[in-house]
Amino acid sequence: MSILAVTHLSLTLQDQHILKNISLSVEEGDVVGLIGPNGSGKTTLFNVLSGFLVPTHGSVHFRGQDITGFSPSKRAHMGIGRVFQNFGIFREMTLEENVLVALEALPAEQRKALGNLKEVVQGTLEMVGLSGHAKKKAGSLSGGQMRLLEIARTLKSGKELFLLDEPTAGVAPKMTHQVGDLISELKRDRKTVLIIEHDLPFISRVCDRVIVLNVGEVVLDGKPSEVKQHRKLQEIYFGADPTS
Amino acid sequence: MQLLVNALIAGSLAALLSAGLSLVYGVLGVFNLALGQFALTGGYVTWWLHVSIGLPLPVSILGGVIVAAIVTWIAFEVSVAPFYRRHVFLPLVTTIAFSMILDALILLLFQERPYSIIAVKHSLHFAGVYISVEQIFLIAFTIVFLCAVAWVLHSTSLGRKIRATVQHSDAARSLGISSALLHRSVFIASGILAALGGIYLGIDQNLTPQLGFPLTIKAYAALIAGGKDNFWGTIVCAYLIALLEQLAIGLPWWGGDYIAAGFQSVVALLFIIVVLLLKPRGLFSGLRRAI
Repeated sequence: MSILAVTHLSLTLQDQHILKNISLSVEEGDVVGLIGPNGSGKTTLFNVLSGFLVPTHGSVHFRGQDITGFSPSKRAHMGIGRVFQNFGIFREMTLEENVLVALEALPAEQRKALGNLKEVVQGTLEMVGLSGHAKKKAGSLSGGQMRLLEIARTLKSGKELFLLDEPTAGVAPKMTHQVGDLISELKRDRKTVLIIEHDLPFISRVCDRVIVLNVGEVVLDGKPSEVKQHRKLQEIYFGADPTS
Repeated sequence: MQLLVNALIAGSLAALLSAGLSLVYGVLGVFNLALGQFALTGGYVTWWLHVSIGLPLPVSILGGVIVAAIVTWIAFEVSVAPFYRRHVFLPLVTTIAFSMILDALILLLFQERPYSIIAVKHSLHFAGVYISVEQIFLIAFTIVFLCAVAWVLHSTSLGRKIRATVQHSDAARSLGISSALLHRSVFIASGILAALGGIYLGIDQNLTPQLGFPLTIKAYAALIAGGKDNFWGTIVCAYLIALLEQLAIGLPWWGGDYIAAGFQSVVALLFIIVVLLLKPRGLFSGLRRAI
């Protein structure tokens, strides 16, 4: 069974058809890239998957359960984690507090199963090399460090499906590799990851599959090597070749 | 010195009112214009329990706070919850409607007579300053209570969730922090803080039904001047506005003339206008959110 199944999903906002009849499924442990030009509906699709928007038509199933009308917090408790393009960290809280609040937001049973939360916090920060900054405010970190903190926090709070919205945006090139390595670690742990990204080499490196959105529709779906060579992708990004 | 003490007394009342307002704006992003009426509810119920029924003051205060909390909860369910997800400005109108209903009820139940929870104050005079024992207690209580709020915000799980929601609401929700529960809790907490303000007013001065809106305006002046989502900025501005009010009416101007006490409330409004002209995002907007 797919971990995530989207069926005939459409979203209309103020008479604009933002998403049009999107159907896709994602298997557990897959790392899937979601690409497309600006305005193609990628982040809107993430907003629907994470519960911030309710679709006009269609449904979203997570582990076989219809979650279409569920709130973001309920989806989080089920195991869906979101990493935001504009850094979803709490800048005026310390790094420790950023991780701790994520653990405290878990349902009581999951929280108890983690044991000593302070040790989990310490372990999380050590995992991404930020334990030396535990008492610093998160807003003082670099873009790359913020991203590592956000992904690690989501991972340690027991999420199974990760929605990463442009994880390399605002990240220095030398730290992009670290973010990629962390995503590879997620894959090794059989976590499922959906990534919105404009950095195609990055997508090729970390993803098993790429879905291309254009004007709210899925236009391509396949392996990165296949999608990269596809004529449609060139047309979407560079326009149709008049000689062809 | 007397002016400073007076400012401390008035500022403590404004701080209690505006603290809750700041939390509500920070977490829900909505304006609540029924705040002054929540304060009066707390004050009047405490007066009724203590003076009319004859219950001990601490029990009466507890009763006033509980009733105000229930009224605030009803206000949330009736005038905020159905609307604020559609547009954050809708509660601006619906809470005005709710405040008018509460005003009418208060007038109906308690008439226009001024009531004081403690009729006889125990006045002290030292170093040229007049202050009552009750006022000393109220100032101390406010400071202790605000310190307790600070402790909750910075040292408890609930506080961390509130701060996380204020700083990045979407990220907080996507971590599993239930906005529905948090929003109710914070709104009711603001009603409790307002009720304490109303009880403060009823002990220090008199309660009259017309005070609801001026109390709300005073709290908003501090909120807007401090920076709408800056909790500590709001508290500082509550005391600052109280000080400016005292200076305005307590010092001689223009050749020894004093400004009439009736113009005191104009100071808060003038202060908002000046702040909005000079720093539209609030005096403490240069600092990051201090919550």
